Amino acid sequence: MDEVTLYHWEPNANSGKPMLALMEKGVPFVSRYTDMLQFDQHKPEYLAINPQGTIPAMTHDAKNGRRVLTESTAIMEYVNEQFDGPNLMPGDPQDSWRVRWWMKFMDQWLGPSFSMIGWSVFVGPMVRQRDPEELAAAIDRIPMPERRVAWRKAINGDFSAAEMAESRRRVGLGIAKLEEELGKRPYVGSNQYTLADINIFNSTYSLPMSQPDLAGKDKTPNIMRWLKRVYTREAVKKTWAMGKTDLASRYGLIMAEIEE
Amino acid sequence: MSAILYHGQPNGASLTVLAALEESGLTLECRLIDLLAGDRHALTGLAETIALDLGVEGEGPVLVVDGEAMTESVFLAQYFDEAAGGAGLQPTDAYAHWEMMMWCRQITERLSPAAALLGNLAGSQAIVAAIPANDFAALTARIVSDDLRERWQALHDDSIDAAQIADSEAKVIAAIDRCEKQLADGREWLMGPFSIADLVTYSWLAGMRVLRGDAFADAVRTNAWLDRVAARPSVVAALARATVPEPLRAFVPGPEINRWG
Repeated sequence: MDEVTLYHWEPNANSGKPMLALMEKGVPFVSRYTDMLQFDQHKPEYLAINPQGTIPAMTHDAKNGRRVLTESTAIMEYVNEQFDGPNLMPGDPQDSWRVRWWMKFMDQWLGPSFSMIGWSVFVGPMVRQRDPEELAAAIDRIPMPERRVAWRKAINGDFSAAEMAESRRRVGLGIAKLEEELGKRPYVGSNQYTLADINIFNSTYSLPMSQPDLAGKDKTPNIMRWLKRVYTREAVKKTWAMGKTDLASRYGLIMAEIEE
Repeated sequence: MSAILYHGQPNGASLTVLAALEESGLTLECRLIDLLAGDRHALTGLAETIALDLGVEGEGPVLVVDGEAMTESVFLAQYFDEAAGGAGLQPTDAYAHWEMMMWCRQITERLSPAAALLGNLAGSQAIVAAIPANDFAALTARIVSDDLRERWQALHDDSIDAAQIADSEAKVIAAIDRCEKQLADGREWLMGPFSIADLVTYSWLAGMRVLRGDAFADAVRTNAWLDRVAARPSVVAALARATVPEPLRAFVPGPEINRWG
């Protein structure tokens, strides 16, 4: 009863959000590592859980039956409302609005730009080493048409120059706005650690390494102070220990830079 | 607390927020502004503007509370519900709440960009194209967001391609289909009890029934549900704020179409 199973990839971007929310709340969960680079999320056993073929997904065997939840930010909101533990939303309605606003800004405006850059420099080259026929078959299995388009572009490395330029513009502007926001408040959107911090941290934890021209101790001191505050949380350390790829090793490198 | 709600004609995002305000029972000053004249980008006396400058929703209403500009219609509806101490617009059960938020996200990410595009082409394109060149340049110069400014420019230039129109029509049909399935068990409202999901879906679909009536020909349940929402006192009151004869035809540049395809 009350068993939670999380299907996730690395503690990064969308997968990292529910991992961290569950850790912060102290909710035990069964971890099902779902390797995005092996297209595990498009295999029949996973599609039986989430027919959309997106990760993460969570199942919760509650009193009145099994609940299947998808969409990382929405899963976090469920976790926060369903389970005991520290409240990861502010009590004040205006603060709550701000937390939601920042999460949408990240999920729909800034995050896809981070992803496009991340896929072009990391995911694309990693999967491109595979057999082309196997890749083509894997892409054909992707249920959502827009995801098929995105994967083809990532694998073929054919994001257009205009698309990449727009993504870089958004990343630059987004970082500047986050720096401004964290100059006003200790956390994103409020004075307490919330789902917005978890959301945005998962896409910005490695900024000083991935975007050294835009972020770092001199350029974005507010972001660096906030990163340090988040990095040192117990739940973050435990979640990062669940990583299996080089992404997780960035944790130590950034910590070294922050603590210099 | 000083609060003013700046809104456009009651359709789309403005309709959602005006109706949610009525449902919440809160009273605050509402000011109608001309969104198609760029009034939203000429608001003064704001201390925090990022949500106005870089909102995802496009030309939605702006709630100003103590100098902070607040945007995004679903979140403003949640804000009214919560500021009223729980006006019943959101389920209290966590799973039902997740279902409502997922529904609203489908509507705001898929239906609203599509409906805004079709609605703008049907009515607002001619109005925007008729703005004298100097005035249009001044209007767009005030828009902080580059991508929102591009959507204004595309509307002005009538440079929206046929594929986008076809995609938008398909998304409207998909939304009607989702409603038909959701209402198949005879429920009165989309989530069972009345919620923000009804307001946001009605706000984008009602205008499509006016403009694309054929798509609703077989949607018996959706048509009956639209009529039920239209009869809610909150929606009647919101629509009564219109200063044009057919507010459900009043569209403004909306959210962008998903960049990934």
